[in-house]
Amino acid sequence: MTIAVCLKWINASGQTDIDDDRFMGFSYADQAALEYALRVAENTNDEVIVVTAGPVGAEAVLRDAIARGAQRAVRIDIDRSHDSAVIAQAIAQAVSHCSLIWCGDYSSDRGSGSVPAFIAAQLSFAQALGLVDIVLPTGAQSPITALRRLDGGRREQLEIRGQAVISVEGSTARLRRASLKGSMAANKQVIEIVTVNQVAVETPPTRAYRPRARAVAAPVGNSALDRVRQITDTSTAKGHGETVHLEPREAAELIVSKLREWGYQS
Amino acid sequence: MTDTDIIVVGAGPAGSCAAIAAAKAGKRVVLIERGPFPGSKNMYGGVIYPRILDELIPDWFEHAPIQRWIVRRSTMLLSDTGALNIDYRSNAWGQAPYNGATAYRPDFDNWLAQQAVAAGAELICSTTVTGLLRDAQGRINGITTDRPDGDLTASVVIACDGVNSFIAKEAGLYKAVDASNYTLGVKETLSLPKSVIDERFGVRDNQGVDIEILGGTSGVNGGGFIYTNLDTIAVGVVLKLPKLSAQKKRPEEIIAELKRHPAIAPLIEGAEVIEYSAHLIPEAGLDMMPKMVADGLLVAGDAAALCLAAGIWLEGVNFAMASGMYAGQSAAQAMTAGNTTAAGLQTYTKKLNETFVLKDHKKLRKIPHLVLSDRVQHKYPGFVTGIVERMFRVENPHPKPGVRRILREERKKAGISLMDLVRDALTGLKGFG
Ligand SMILES: Cc1cc2nc3c(=O)[nH]c(=O)nc-3n(C[C@H](O)[C@H](O)[C@H](O)COP(=O)(O)OP(=O)(O)OC[C@H]3O[C@@H](n4cnc5c(N)ncnc54)[C@H](O)[C@@H]3O)c2cc1C
Repeated sequence: MTIAVCLKWINASGQTDIDDDRFMGFSYADQAALEYALRVAENTNDEVIVVTAGPVGAEAVLRDAIARGAQRAVRIDIDRSHDSAVIAQAIAQAVSHCSLIWCGDYSSDRGSGSVPAFIAAQLSFAQALGLVDIVLPTGAQSPITALRRLDGGRREQLEIRGQAVISVEGSTARLRRASLKGSMAANKQVIEIVTVNQVAVETPPTRAYRPRARAVAAPVGNSALDRVRQITDTSTAKGHGETVHLEPREAAELIVSKLREWGYQS
Repeated sequence: MTDTDIIVVGAGPAGSCAAIAAAKAGKRVVLIERGPFPGSKNMYGGVIYPRILDELIPDWFEHAPIQRWIVRRSTMLLSDTGALNIDYRSNAWGQAPYNGATAYRPDFDNWLAQQAVAAGAELICSTTVTGLLRDAQGRINGITTDRPDGDLTASVVIACDGVNSFIAKEAGLYKAVDASNYTLGVKETLSLPKSVIDERFGVRDNQGVDIEILGGTSGVNGGGFIYTNLDTIAVGVVLKLPKLSAQKKRPEEIIAELKRHPAIAPLIEGAEVIEYSAHLIPEAGLDMMPKMVADGLLVAGDAAALCLAAGIWLEGVNFAMASGMYAGQSAAQAMTAGNTTAAGLQTYTKKLNETFVLKDHKKLRKIPHLVLSDRVQHKYPGFVTGIVERMFRVENPHPKPGVRRILREERKKAGISLMDLVRDALTGLKGFG
């Protein structure tokens, strides 16, 4: 079986718009992902394949990962400025045969954390994203157990079986150092290159939301101040801000009817 | 069979040039650097004399990451309130074949190391060399590093690990270390808009200025410097270690005082400090140099104390590049000849002796001591500025005093005996040859 790790080539100095070879690398989250993949593979004798989407320079992170113990490296030759769905589709094609796909939860340049979710969606794999704690199984058949971060300090406990995309936070594991001989061998590693010709990802057309126009009567009053007050004064109640106690169904109906009345819904 | 032919320790100017030379001679070369990239850990004042690169990289000036080409070279003598400035300008220095140039080390060292990679050397960063390997006969045949599975064997190791080289020490090439042979260099990098720098220093485009300073180091023996980069200025001092610790002064206070001097303050007014750094300099030249060759080992650059720090000259990078290059060439030759013992590697010392590397050091042997001596440091700046002050001060209705009278009176005021003055003048004349 094969385990994949997705690594994004980023400028670790924080200057995210410049590819300065001196500062390029991969984020702590990606490092943790690689470490887990290597640990899993140590138990299962699986092959670890590392994947990056980017230009030739990005091969440096693949060599780094090879030096640390990955066996195969694939670079998807694609402009990193594509949006996450396009990048994820290209990656998904390259890793569809894998049992587990490890990712960092989001890259430290401008990541939104959406690539792992898109990959899972593309491949119809299970997803376990934003993990803060991972316990690897001891037996071959037992699942990976993990804690996932939820909003408001809550945690969700997961059991991961079968094909899955897993994304982890950077604090979960410290990546091992490469051996010196490993680094020297990695410099000679052959990197497979996948070219992506036409990436077609459908995104529905969207436009900015605007509430419908509605007629507002002109203010009346003797002085300009009176008229301005009529429009802007908030000191007296105008019938908004009503509190009602209803069953959920009736509450929803009331909200919809109010939205309609105020012109936000047709 | 060794893992590689030649291991170069340290990707500073010495190491990268050693790697380029050895790789060009067809040898397998591994260049090991402890920083995350070459130059990341390195600092200096700011001026490089790169002509020595003509041999290794003929078109270096078209590609090297240079900030400004030096067209003005000044030597400044500072008393507490006065400044005497000897300023030479040549715009010809701003054109090929050029003279000196300012550059940032993280740019320059990285560029130079990439030239080594282009020549075929293998660069390994984030790796610290921790010791030497020896074969059964005790000759050096490799290194140990802090990496897992980190031993590496080779026919020759070239130590370019900078000042205080632990490799040269481990190989037993240094005599006991004497702190008075070292100075501490500290530097602030100050940010100013390019147009302001151009205006204040009287330069344009990529023309730059190099100012070496004697005096103004708060009574601690040493010197100062100011160099212009495109949109920063480097201001620093070089301080004799024993004096610094005896006087219990902080180096950053000494820079602050230098920056407040009436001749310096207007140059840097409004600038923001963006970097502060410090590094040791091997100052004593020939008097502190180690043996540079052992069985299977060569030492180059600051690791061999080849930095020339002689007052108005602070040149280390060119000496490092040259010695590195000769070490790389000699190592390759010795390998080809099948003899990498100390005797087989002797072409290196021969080459150093035949070229500026040791010729300059021999010529200027007495100068570091002279420049850092108490008299030159604490008496001469006041003496000389005092003379000039009186020569140009018009005190009518009094007539101008004669120069001889000024000399005599100022010498007495500064407390310099005629004997000492003559002796120092002779040492200087002989020393600067
Ligand atoms: C304040 C100051 C101002 C100076 N100004 C000038 C100037 O204006 N012009 C000039 O020409 N010279 C100047 N010098 C001198 C100059 O900086 C040095 O002479 C020069 O850098 C020497 O080059 P090098 O390659 O021998 O050593 P370094 O530049 O010190 O390089 C040594 C390299 O070895 C690496 N290293 C060290 N130990 C190990 C290890 N164990 N394992 C792996 N890697 C290791 C280091 O990280 C470094 O990259 C100045 C120095 C100072 C301190």
